[in-house]
Amino acid sequence: MSNLELGLWSFPVLLGLIFLRIPIGLSMLSCGLVGTWLVMGTTAPILSRLKVETYSTFSSYSLSIVPLFLLMGQFASLGGMSQALFRAANAFLGHRRGGVAMSAIGACAGFGAICGSSLATAATMAQVALPELRRYGYSGALATGTLAAGGTLGVLIPPSVVLVIYAILAEQNVAKLFVAAFVPGVLAAVGYMVAISLYVRLYPESAGSSPRQPWRERLAALAEVWPVAAVFLAVVGGIYAGWFTPTEGAAVGAAGTGLIALANGGLTRRTLIEAILATATSTAMIFFIVFGAAIYNSFLALSQLPAEAAAFITGQGFSPFAVLAGILIFYLVLGCFMDSLSMILLTVPIFFPLVGGLDFGMGAEDFAIWFGILVLVVVEVGLITPPVGMNLFVINSMAKDIPILATYRGVTPFVLSDIVRTVILVAFPALSLFMVKWLY
Amino acid sequence: MRIPAVAEALARWLAMLGGLALVAVTGLTVTSIAGRALTRQGLGPIPGDFELVEALTAFAVFAFLPWCQLRRGHATVDVFTRALPERANRAIDLAAELLMTLVVVLIAWRLWHGMWDKLRYHETTFILQFPLWWSFAAAFAAAAAGVLVSFCVVALRLRELLAVADDAAHDAGGDAPGDAGGAP
Amino acid sequence: SAQEVTLRLHQFLPAQANVPTNLLYPWADRVEAQSGGRIRIERYPAMQLGGTPPQLIDQAQDGTVDIVWTLPGYTPGRFPTTEVFELPFMMSNAEAASKAYWDMFEKHMKDGEFADVHILATWVHGPGVIHSSRPVETLQDLRGMKLRAPSRIINTLLGELGATPVGMPVPAVTEALSRGVIDGAVIPWEVAPSVKVEELVSHHTEFAGGEALYTATFVLAMNKARYESLPEELRKIIDDNSGREVSGLFGRTQEHYDGPARQLAVDRGNTIVELDADEVAAWKAASRPVIDGWIAEMNGRGLDGQALVDEARELIAKYTAQQ
Ligand code: NA
Ligand code: NA
Repeated sequence: MSNLELGLWSFPVLLGLIFLRIPIGLSMLSCGLVGTWLVMGTTAPILSRLKVETYSTFSSYSLSIVPLFLLMGQFASLGGMSQALFRAANAFLGHRRGGVAMSAIGACAGFGAICGSSLATAATMAQVALPELRRYGYSGALATGTLAAGGTLGVLIPPSVVLVIYAILAEQNVAKLFVAAFVPGVLAAVGYMVAISLYVRLYPESAGSSPRQPWRERLAALAEVWPVAAVFLAVVGGIYAGWFTPTEGAAVGAAGTGLIALANGGLTRRTLIEAILATATSTAMIFFIVFGAAIYNSFLALSQLPAEAAAFITGQGFSPFAVLAGILIFYLVLGCFMDSLSMILLTVPIFFPLVGGLDFGMGAEDFAIWFGILVLVVVEVGLITPPVGMNLFVINSMAKDIPILATYRGVTPFVLSDIVRTVILVAFPALSLFMVKWLY
Repeated sequence: MRIPAVAEALARWLAMLGGLALVAVTGLTVTSIAGRALTRQGLGPIPGDFELVEALTAFAVFAFLPWCQLRRGHATVDVFTRALPERANRAIDLAAELLMTLVVVLIAWRLWHGMWDKLRYHETTFILQFPLWWSFAAAFAAAAAGVLVSFCVVALRLRELLAVADDAAHDAGGDAPGDAGGAP
Repeated sequence: SAQEVTLRLHQFLPAQANVPTNLLYPWADRVEAQSGGRIRIERYPAMQLGGTPPQLIDQAQDGTVDIVWTLPGYTPGRFPTTEVFELPFMMSNAEAASKAYWDMFEKHMKDGEFADVHILATWVHGPGVIHSSRPVETLQDLRGMKLRAPSRIINTLLGELGATPVGMPVPAVTEALSRGVIDGAVIPWEVAPSVKVEELVSHHTEFAGGEALYTATFVLAMNKARYESLPEELRKIIDDNSGREVSGLFGRTQEHYDGPARQLAVDRGNTIVELDADEVAAWKAASRPVIDGWIAEMNGRGLDGQALVDEARELIAKYTAQQ
């Protein structure tokens, strides 16, 4: 079997393992290890890589933001902040159909402004919002779909780990990419809210509602949110004022929420242990998937499948926009099986130079920024497209009673909203570029 | 003590140690930020804060993995296995846990060699220049404990499979009990 | 004749960066052409085959890949002798220093710290420059400045000179600079545009008097067993593309790309300060403890630190004079 065939065959094998309920990370890791072994013809290379690869993946500075934000989420719940947040959201929006889900999207967007990671946003906000959504009578499908989609705002709204990686690979200015991602990120949040309102119109039984509250109670509920606002401002303000990096901001957030929870009695010996154990489970799950994906992706690269696929797509003599569409569709399909960071790492080094040579009627840097935003958007869709969507798994694993099929169903309107947004961003490059032009 | 109790205690204490490492990361980072903000007043960031964060996070993740495995915390897709009978599901559990154990042993074994490489090559970190093998040794200790936990979990899943088989033998012809399995 | 040998070349920069485009890939093209197509070199940029940059040397050593481009400085402590070229104020000309590096490699490192890999070329980059948001015109200006250091030695040096060295991964630099988490970075011109340094800071400090603040060392390393298993004619083609002259060419080529990068900063209207001889003398005096410390450290490892420094200086002087 040629290396290329090995790469192709790994897709059905990987899916087979995953559908047999073998843990995702374990499936990717096994496929990657065996695949590498077959390509190299010997086990020696992969065995020697494993001497350091687990340690260097788990010690990655940019990934250390994940457990810190998870811990922050735990402390935030212990301090009663999540309840306060949702009381306030409910006071203002709860009387609408789908209102609490909409405010969950808003909260995800806010959280996305301090967090660069999709999984961290999904996991943290789910810890806070999932119980509340269920309490207000939302169906398991809509609740998990909302939070899985909301989690992508963690990356769509800057700062964003994916954009940092893209900037490095394409040698672009991260700051400009962050600026460029702002409007598309807000569009994403708005699009999700529209998706919710359409969904609840179609399926009115999937969302509960609470009575409209008078302004006095709304303001009282709002006042309860001050610790959240304070931590949020310290973290966001600190990051944007240049006091610290996003990872350091996560540590500040964890410390701040921890102290608040301690002050209002939410943090005791018993709850601290629970918080740590919950953080441990989610952290281990996420890092294990990242590790499995890293091994699987390096096997795919070794099989030369991505390179051949890229050469095939760009080698057909199509118009630049047809090639771009082909690449974006390729990402959407690949995203059904792979995680976003790995996809970027695997494909941008191949695609960027290829499409960079085509004429889209704009300057090289404009194109690089626009293409970066488009890639960001489509790989993030991959996080919520069945069957393999990391956010879907993270959220679903936090709601053991909800079948994954329900989550698949619940996320569909959000995926559709993502596709509409992608088309809009392709049609109007100015949406991604005007903020950059205005500020630089 | 019975097997589940031993595994549970080991994994829990390991996870708590990892949690301690995370709390240390938090405290260290906040202190370092404060020191950096007061550079003009003669203070400074904690030297090598980045590499301490990296070493502590790596230890924490290694320490968290056994707990996650014990508690069935790893992400799975259960759409297609729902339709299968209870016994098939318990068999899948056992197979998955065996595969996981294989990987866990592989990881620990390779990490052990990685640690010896770092020791042999005298590799250090950039700023603090402490020997890298220290961090590898801490990670290996957690990974080795993870191997023990993993064996216990296999025993646990085997027992669950046998229990289902027994039940099936007792009420022959009847459906397997609808128990969802779940965490111990 | 038909292609017989496929070699995998793995490195950490994207394909369109200077070093792959202008050094590594032309080198690979030459090897392929000279072999008449019998050797094919598969190119994997940006760590596509997995791992992190510090793992590259292990990947070559263990045969995960066949050839890597890496920095010995990524694994501090493992290749101590290479650090002699990273000491402050050692070099000014990358080609001469690269050739000197090759001679020192053959004499001291080939059967020592690099015994487990087959080294194809050894070279250094052009003079390192301080890029900072506030001007650095005197030693005093460094005080309290948070600078990202490129290597173990420079980290010690910056601390010695009164700055606050910050160790952070390369990908973090752009964001850290844009957010003001650090005040500057110490890197050669050629690397600056890839992290957008010239857009984020407006002051650059160079050193007059023929000696640069620092440089960093590189190696092109091949798996030893793989090299030895090549048929003799093919091994000769690899040999023809290894050694002192190739190393010198790599050093010269890399330094050449300092020019366009420096021009980018000039075009943006950034301030470029060149410290005069008196000021450089003060910096040299202040950096003396770093060199002494390194010598003592080498002596502690059973090497003659002072002799290594002297030998490196002599060789650099010799090859500089030859140009
Ligand atoms: Na974000
Ligand atoms: Na997906």
